[in-house]
Amino acid sequence: MSRCDFKIVLLGSEHVGKTSLVLRFVNCRFNADIPYQNTVGAAFCAKAMQSNGKNFNIGIWDTAGSERYEAMTKIYYRGAHAAIICYEPSSVASWKRLRHWLQELRGVEENCKVYLCGTKKDLLDGGYVCREVPEDTIASYTQGLCGHFFTSSKTGENVDELFQKIVDDCAADVQLMKNVEDMRLQLQKEEVAFKAKSKDYCFC
Amino acid sequence: MEDVLDEIVSSEDLQKFEKVFHEQLHQGNVTHKAQFEYAWCLVRSKYPTDIRKGILLLKELFNSHPDGKRDYLFYLAIGNARIKEYNKALHYVKSFLEIEPANQQVLALERQINKRMEKEGLIGIAVASGAVLAIGGIVGLGIALASKK
Ligand SMILES: Nc1nc2c(ncn2[C@@H]2O[C@H](COP(=O)(O)OP(=O)(O)OP(=O)(O)O)[C@@H](O)[C@H]2O)c(=O)[nH]1
Ligand SMILES: [Mg+2]
Repeated sequence: MSRCDFKIVLLGSEHVGKTSLVLRFVNCRFNADIPYQNTVGAAFCAKAMQSNGKNFNIGIWDTAGSERYEAMTKIYYRGAHAAIICYEPSSVASWKRLRHWLQELRGVEENCKVYLCGTKKDLLDGGYVCREVPEDTIASYTQGLCGHFFTSSKTGENVDELFQKIVDDCAADVQLMKNVEDMRLQLQKEEVAFKAKSKDYCFC
Repeated sequence: MEDVLDEIVSSEDLQKFEKVFHEQLHQGNVTHKAQFEYAWCLVRSKYPTDIRKGILLLKELFNSHPDGKRDYLFYLAIGNARIKEYNKALHYVKSFLEIEPANQQVLALERQINKRMEKEGLIGIAVASGAVLAIGGIVGLGIALASKK
């Protein structure tokens, strides 16, 4: 049994592209033919990653953005080491909601590392939509947070970079790594105990 | 591993949503939202009786509130899978996929349920072959002891 070392949670308004980002990262795929389907509650994914030659298991909770699920999705913020808050650069409404998401998150996990993610970069680059959130607004808001990325789940641009930065930051966090090591040891002990028990059972 | 089938509701959360539900029940006016949130906690409980109660509440919602159909189908599948009613769970998965055939979240859930069925099937085989070995006369006493457990 493997437990996840780092927990990452995604939040942001509905339709901004959280699920697409996770699926691009985990499966290296984007399917434009599938119509938009809002996430029900929250979805979980895991992926093995490396930082500085060390292996880590990453657990990702992709929460639903619709207000209908809000009471439920908050529960998944608990214990998160890092959060990606997504918005669409072409939608001022989704940007204005950032503050709300950040507050909700801080109310549950004060010390969680926060990354902002402007999604659907391909649409901006292709001129299909206009940027409505100015660069300096973004820059000043990002101060005090851990980073900002413009990603495209369609082309994959900056997607790996975003997750790699998160894992590198987590791996470089001494306090966090101490907790991770403790948890791994605990898990190992449990596993040994479990194996010893099942051995007994086979021999009896 | 942590995933949607293993994840367990904390007792504070369960109590919180239970309280809202019961307050509304006393006033004779339960909202879909309160019932859904309470049911969602129940199906993530570690106690099968809670899960069964959650399933009943979800079925009731499913019949009375067509707008939330996909939410209810999804958690009906999860609840049933968690009490190992895998065939029922797969039935709800199928009904969901009839509405949204390419839904990644539900396809992932289907894979997970199939994996569990397989795993538990394999455990069955391991136990059976163990018994065959024992009957082979190696540890006859062992069986007697094991079956007393
Ligand atoms: N062109 C383009 N479209 C995207 C991109 N990311 C997401 N989309 C589209 O945007 C829509 C919404 O994407 P989702 O990933 O489902 O959004 P979400 O944030 O998970 O939504 P909720 O689950 O309701 O919170 C879908 O139709 C996607 O195909 C992108 O990078 N480029
Ligand atoms: Mg989603």
